[in-house]
Amino acid sequence: MAKSSLKSAALMEQMKAHLSTDAGKDIVKKLNLVFQLNIAPKKIGFNEEIFVVDLKKGEVTQGPYEGGKPDATFSFTDEDFIKIASGKMNPQIAFMRGAIKIKGSMSAATKFTPDIFPKPSKM
Amino acid sequence: MAMRELVSGGAACAVPGSSSSSNPLGALANALIGSSSKTQERLQEIPTQSNGISEGNLYPGGQEAINALPGSELDHLQHPSSQGSAFLHNFRSSDQNRFADAWDDIQTPQMPPFQGRNGLTNFPLEHTRVQPNLEGPPQRVLSSFLHSFVNSGHQGLPLHPTQLPSLGLSEGDKKCIRDRSSIMARHIFADKSEDFLNSQVNALLSSLDIDTDIRSRGGPPGRFQEMEEYWNDSQVMQPNPHAADGWIAEFGQNRLQLADPNAWAHSFEKQHGANGWASEFEHEQSQLTSYDHMRGASIPNLAAMEQTRMLAHTLAQNDDPKFQNSKFLRFLSKMSQGDFNMDENQFRPPVISAPGDWATEYQQQYNKGQSWADQFAHEELAHAPEAWANEFSTKHGPVNDQWVDEFSKLNVQDWADEFGDQMGKGVLGDSSADNWADAYDEYVNEQATAKQRSEASRGVYVFSDLNPYVGHPNPMKEGQELFRKGLLSEAVLALEAEVLKNPDNAEGWRLLGIANAENDDDQQAIASMMRAQEVDPTNLEVLLALGVSHTNELEQQAALKYLYSWLSHHPKYSTIAPPELFESLYYADVSRCFNDAAKMAPEDADVHIVLGVLYNLSREYDKAIESFKTALELKPRDYSLWNKLGATQANSVQSADAILAYQQALDIKPNYVRAWANMGISYANQGMYEDSIRYYVRALAMNPKADNAWQYLRISLSCASRNDMLDACDARNLDVLQKEFPL
Repeated sequence: MAKSSLKSAALMEQMKAHLSTDAGKDIVKKLNLVFQLNIAPKKIGFNEEIFVVDLKKGEVTQGPYEGGKPDATFSFTDEDFIKIASGKMNPQIAFMRGAIKIKGSMSAATKFTPDIFPKPSKM
Repeated sequence: MAMRELVSGGAACAVPGSSSSSNPLGALANALIGSSSKTQERLQEIPTQSNGISEGNLYPGGQEAINALPGSELDHLQHPSSQGSAFLHNFRSSDQNRFADAWDDIQTPQMPPFQGRNGLTNFPLEHTRVQPNLEGPPQRVLSSFLHSFVNSGHQGLPLHPTQLPSLGLSEGDKKCIRDRSSIMARHIFADKSEDFLNSQVNALLSSLDIDTDIRSRGGPPGRFQEMEEYWNDSQVMQPNPHAADGWIAEFGQNRLQLADPNAWAHSFEKQHGANGWASEFEHEQSQLTSYDHMRGASIPNLAAMEQTRMLAHTLAQNDDPKFQNSKFLRFLSKMSQGDFNMDENQFRPPVISAPGDWATEYQQQYNKGQSWADQFAHEELAHAPEAWANEFSTKHGPVNDQWVDEFSKLNVQDWADEFGDQMGKGVLGDSSADNWADAYDEYVNEQATAKQRSEASRGVYVFSDLNPYVGHPNPMKEGQELFRKGLLSEAVLALEAEVLKNPDNAEGWRLLGIANAENDDDQQAIASMMRAQEVDPTNLEVLLALGVSHTNELEQQAALKYLYSWLSHHPKYSTIAPPELFESLYYADVSRCFNDAAKMAPEDADVHIVLGVLYNLSREYDKAIESFKTALELKPRDYSLWNKLGATQANSVQSADAILAYQQALDIKPNYVRAWANMGISYANQGMYEDSIRYYVRALAMNPKADNAWQYLRISLSCASRNDMLDACDARNLDVLQKEFPL
């Protein structure tokens, strides 16, 4: 994965490795969806880095989704994504407050929850 | 005058449902200022009063308190009509004791102007008087009776059931008084027997002719929850005879610190910011408006708008320029006119602008009359999730995406049902009907904690309240002893006391930083370590710790800076680290320097440790693991090193190995909170949720302030389908959780 300065990049890498474990394979089986994440360093929509969390094939890639249309596309800031993935921010509430912009299938969007992401351990 | 009308229950008062004879607001004002007739005079005097600091101080305090009323309770939309009287009760009762104490303080000789006032010395709230004044208007009788109930607690005297004249309390009032008094009684009398408590409460209630049997929790849950939480907290606290009087102690402390009758007003301000209540109200109003847009005309909103209108009206009637110009009033008028202009930044903190935007957007699109958008809007949208979905889809109406066309061909009702189903299944564990209210509650809570977090994240250390070690003769030694024994939270408190006493104690700050990090609080660890660095810029351990904490927080540049500083300040390796590199720190350069150092001195464990942290930064986990293993051969009893190894392994998804490493760390240091939390994470990442719960609970039992762990626990609970425990988790009820999930 190309070196990114976003904090989320670390999480994406961990996610990538996570998907090849048993737990990760369970998630893929359960969800079977493709999420595209447009993560911006400071303000939504500016200098976004795009990641695709493909929970159909079980991989995480950089860049827009090539294999068709993602089930749901999310736009948020670096900090907000970290908060959502760690359970500090409820995605529904974040959406209501406008901290996340969503495109695509609503039912897919509701499945974007903190439990699909592995948690970082602290040294 | 408007405020006075509010106070004395006048006709324009925007509080439906409360009978004037038991207007708690009136009682409140009476409690503050004296008899109701004198109140009228005083109230008229107040805005122009310039003499008598006490009085001048009191009323603005009271005014703020009164102004605070609208800001708090409007989120409970379930009881639009009763909320008015209900939250006045809430406000009155929950803060009554603080007023009582504040009032008591004011009565002390420090405030000579008061002694001279006849009306005030007659006030029944003096220390010596236990018998309540049973004469006078009903609200005064009620308030004085309640005050004597409080006082009886202070003095330990049993309250005698007294025959009170008919006070005209409504059922709602009675229920509130019953519930409030039992909670307050538990607080005040927590150090006495259960029997005493019950008899006190029964005496109170029978005097007021309130049924003691049925203790149903009617009324808005908001204040209850806070009270219950606080009460639970105080019960859960260390076995400490003063635990239940915590808040009294806190008040005492605050009073000592501030030493003026504005203590409570200030602390309210401190808590909520100078315009806190105004912005809280604004936040909440914006939510209401947004939701309003979503749902169209809904009953709770009409009530809220109506109330806002009335409030604005009464306030506007006051000619005082202070009122006229108040932000609050202007805001209210805007609100009641229904035209909430999202772009006016001056009224709102920037954080609301986002929801404002989409709400406006939504409205615009709504008005554009897209056919399928209309169809949506006219659907029976009884449930929040469908409304949410509705908002979402109309927002994207004008955008001609293909999916929109596809979408419009679908049966709308099916879609809404599907969504409703999804929400019903509780993907996030929320019940659909309360989504909105929960959303708002969480938002408000977040705002409250965000302030603290933002302070810490700016490197400002946040000291604990109620520190029992302040005033200890030698807190440094105590802190070191506690740390050695592994009592991390206690050590943190003792060390905080030390650095409060001696802010230049570098070792104190350093140890505090280590303790915080081991307690799994990187924010506080960073703040402490930065202070340590200020005092002693060359301390290598401090620099390493800062590097580690920043790496944990994924702050790459900062971490790199500190790790490089470690090298440049090291007596042996400073030659390898040219200072010019500081200007533009590139990872590759730093890494090279460190490798040189390692070659220079392969027996130096520390170099390997720093290298390991560096490799974590660049996510070269294999190299990091190697470095840590090398260091461990040289320093096998370093528990923190085992934890670093474990964390590295966990982050490179070798969770099984990680658990072994954590176990080693815990064998050496059993109270290592961070390692317990990391264990939980490793189990959760492997999908072993039931196990992870136990480890999280264990970590939290040692440090209930570990916010990360609370969030992770919640996630694990819902993954393990233990939604029954979610409430306990949200309430941070460790007792229940520990009983349910022992290790």
